Amino acid sequence: MRVMVIVKATKDSEAGVMPSQKLLEDMGKFNEQLVKAGIMLAGDGLHPTSKAKRVKFSGDKRTVVDGPFAETKELIAGFWIWQVRSIEEAVEWVRRCPSPHPGTEIDIRPFFEAEDFGKEFTPELRAQEERLRAQVERQKKS
Amino acid sequence: MRVMIIVRANRNSEAGRMPGPDVLAQMRTYNEQLAEAGVLVGMGGLLPSANGKRVKASGGKKTVVDGPFAETKELIAGFWLWQVRSMDEALEWAARFPDTGEDEEIEIRPMYDEGPCGTMTASAPKAKAVAAAAE
Repeated sequence: MRVMVIVKATKDSEAGVMPSQKLLEDMGKFNEQLVKAGIMLAGDGLHPTSKAKRVKFSGDKRTVVDGPFAETKELIAGFWIWQVRSIEEAVEWVRRCPSPHPGTEIDIRPFFEAEDFGKEFTPELRAQEERLRAQVERQKKS
Repeated sequence: MRVMIIVRANRNSEAGRMPGPDVLAQMRTYNEQLAEAGVLVGMGGLLPSANGKRVKASGGKKTVVDGPFAETKELIAGFWLWQVRSMDEALEWAARFPDTGEDEEIEIRPMYDEGPCGTMTASAPKAKAVAAAAE
C-alpha cells in the first residue's frame, strides 16, 4: 500500500528557518535508509507559503489569493510517499524520523487505490487511469 | 519549477463520498491534458483521515494518535505534482480545473528543487545517487 507522510508546517518552517547541520545529516541518513529499504517513492520539501497562492472556485468566479497564509496548522511543509506493507510499518519509520522543527506533527494517510473505488469508478475510467499512470511514469523517466 | 497542488479535505471527502461519474470523467480528461502537456508529474487521492494516523513529536517523545481528525481544514484530500515554467503557468492550468458544482479551493506550493530539502522523488538524480552510494 502507498501512504503519504505529511510533515505539517510550523512557525519555523514558515519563516524559512533552515534545520541545523546535525539535523540535515540525520535526515540524510534517514532518507538513505528509506531508499535502501525500498520504501521511498518520493520526498519533497515545499517553500514557505510566502511563495504560494490559493485559487478559489465558486461557479464561474476564480479568485487568486497570495500567501503567506496565517493558519499554520492548516499548512504543510513537506511530504514523503512510501510503499509499505501496512500503516503500522509507516508508523515505525515515522517514529525514527528526525524532527525537522520543534513540535513537528506528521500525518500518515493511505492513498486511494483502484480497489477502494466503488461502481462510480467504471471499467472505462479504470482503463483511462491506467493509461494515465503509465504515461506519467514514462515522462518521469525521460 | 515544480509545484504541489493541494486539494484540502471537506466534509464530503472525509465521509468518503466520491464525486459523480460526470465530474470523475471531467477530472480524467483534465489529468490527460496535464499529462499530454508534460505538466503532470504525480498525483494522488488520500483515503479519509479515519484511515490515517498522526505522530506528534514533543521533547524527544513521539505520540501516535489514530484518525479521524476533527479539524477538517487541517487535512488534505489529494494532490497533484506539476512541472511548470512559472507560477503563471501553474495559475493558467489551475484556472482550467473542472467545475465540480461546488465551491473549491486549491493551494499552489512551489517545491524545493535543490539543497537539503530538495526532491527525493525516486526517479530524481538525487535519490539515484543516494541509492548508488548506499550499495
